[in-house]
Amino acid sequence: MRVLKQKKKRLFEFLGKLKQSYELIAPVSKDVVRFEKIDDTGDIYLEKNSYFPLKEYFFRKEEVLFKFNGNKIIVPAPEAPARVFFGIRKCDLNAISHQDMVFMNQVNDPYYSSMRKNSFLLGYHCNTAPSPFCFCGSLELVDYSDLMFYDRGDYLLVEIGSEKGKFLAGKFREFFVETNAAITQKEKIIPRADRLDKKDISHLYDHPDWKKGVDICLSCSACTALCPTCYCFEIHDNVGTKNPKEGERKRSWSSCQVQEFTKVAGEHVFRKEREERFKHRIYHQLDYFKQKNGINLCVGCGRCIEACPTRIDFVEIINEMK
Amino acid sequence: MLTEKYSLPLENKKMPKPKLKLGFYGITGCAGCLLSVIFNEDEILDLIQLVDLKAFPFIKEVNPDEQFDYVFMEGLVADKGDLEELEKLRQNTRYIVSLGACACTGCVPAYRQFTLKENYEHLLYRKQKEVEDIQPTPIDAHVKVDYYIPGCPPDKREIVTFIKNIAIGKEPKPYENPVCVECRKNGNQCLLDLGKPCLGPITAGGCNSVCINGNFECWGCRGPTKDMNLPLMIKILKEKGFDDKFIQDRMRTFAGLKLPMLEQFFNVKVNVKC
Repeated sequence: MRVLKQKKKRLFEFLGKLKQSYELIAPVSKDVVRFEKIDDTGDIYLEKNSYFPLKEYFFRKEEVLFKFNGNKIIVPAPEAPARVFFGIRKCDLNAISHQDMVFMNQVNDPYYSSMRKNSFLLGYHCNTAPSPFCFCGSLELVDYSDLMFYDRGDYLLVEIGSEKGKFLAGKFREFFVETNAAITQKEKIIPRADRLDKKDISHLYDHPDWKKGVDICLSCSACTALCPTCYCFEIHDNVGTKNPKEGERKRSWSSCQVQEFTKVAGEHVFRKEREERFKHRIYHQLDYFKQKNGINLCVGCGRCIEACPTRIDFVEIINEMK
Repeated sequence: MLTEKYSLPLENKKMPKPKLKLGFYGITGCAGCLLSVIFNEDEILDLIQLVDLKAFPFIKEVNPDEQFDYVFMEGLVADKGDLEELEKLRQNTRYIVSLGACACTGCVPAYRQFTLKENYEHLLYRKQKEVEDIQPTPIDAHVKVDYYIPGCPPDKREIVTFIKNIAIGKEPKPYENPVCVECRKNGNQCLLDLGKPCLGPITAGGCNSVCINGNFECWGCRGPTKDMNLPLMIKILKEKGFDDKFIQDRMRTFAGLKLPMLEQFFNVKVNVKC
């Protein structure tokens, strides 16, 4: 793949220029690190990965599926402006690729794809694992960016990953120089991020060690809300007050960690026990999705562990299982 | 039950079904929950067109034998008059809705049950013979309650949604997830991580995590979730450095009566460091 070189100080000039044509979204350090719209490129923070994932920009927290009026159905056509996302780590790029797979390849979800299509993904490679919870090295991550920035001290190597990336690099060519440098597969491995043992957990479902996690689980859903790949949602209707014949149907994020998620007519709950719900998330991430799609859903960002009020480390639990 | 309640004249041009008869009543309480109904300024006039509003304190009154489809009951039972009114309404009403924390959990007035009599005895009415003291209790301690709209005060949007749902014949659905579900969706940082004694993980949400959005920890006004992990919550608060007395007081402020035998959970062993 074609690689370009960029001086470090040119990076922020490049982003500043980019901002004039596109909406720029990058991590900023506030109470925690979040992806936000950038007004001043000096605010961009690249030391750590963001606490909250990017997914809300594509798979929105709440979305109007359609409005209705009697028998008439009106489907909204949301249109996101052309947006450039900068500073996305490898795990989050893969998370976007998994959500693309779910919402765009397996089905065509018009709401997701309308948010996703006008976006450029500019990645930022981790030279070392940015948090002690990371384990992306244990999962088979791929390259999935338009442009990927590799920090090499006083300069950056920029790998062009797609046609969109090529377009951006061409449009802003004054900020890049051609180079013969290449990025080897070995250089793409993030050190100290492979703490999850590669093991098949499909036969460990009834293992007693899961209880170590279940006992200290509040079922608060922090893990699923902060997961960059979790894509489950629920659907609600709301009717108008003036005319109850009109109203809207909305979908919003949901979580497999609560009983409500599997409640069906007649108040029956399929996963009533905390243990079943606890294991369901981990099995969906590391087993079920792989069985269906040949790839783990989990990308190893470690947010579910970092955000958990009791820091339930399922990586340790799995590693210790015999 | 659904078809029975289906009353909104949607396509029914021939014979519109009669509108649901609603009543709002308050027993011992601060009337804040009734204000939450009125605070829907933009929608209240349209809302009452959907139903037949028969009674609302200071607005409309009816004779005591009126029959209702739904009665929204604010406040808790604290004297004999409250109980008599409640029992009378129960007899005349198909569905009783607990409105607000006092009616649902007992809220702050019921905290009296967890303190010594000498702490409050001097505050009791003595001269008025007609005020006959009863141990403060939520209304479901005395009569059957069909629906709950919890919160101190209840979410004003939830009241509107409830009334619209019953008006169109849809079963109202309580929000049973913990506060954390909405809180995380709202992009808040966990207040437990900041060392605050937040009760969000064991408290039913539906409030759109309003307190935590304002950086104020959850005190549990909407009552415990059915699925709470109480021993773990206690252990976490202890780990954060709060003592048993503080934790008990905090948990009992809004929902003490819905956490019976709270003390015994202090002895359950939980292995967690956080």
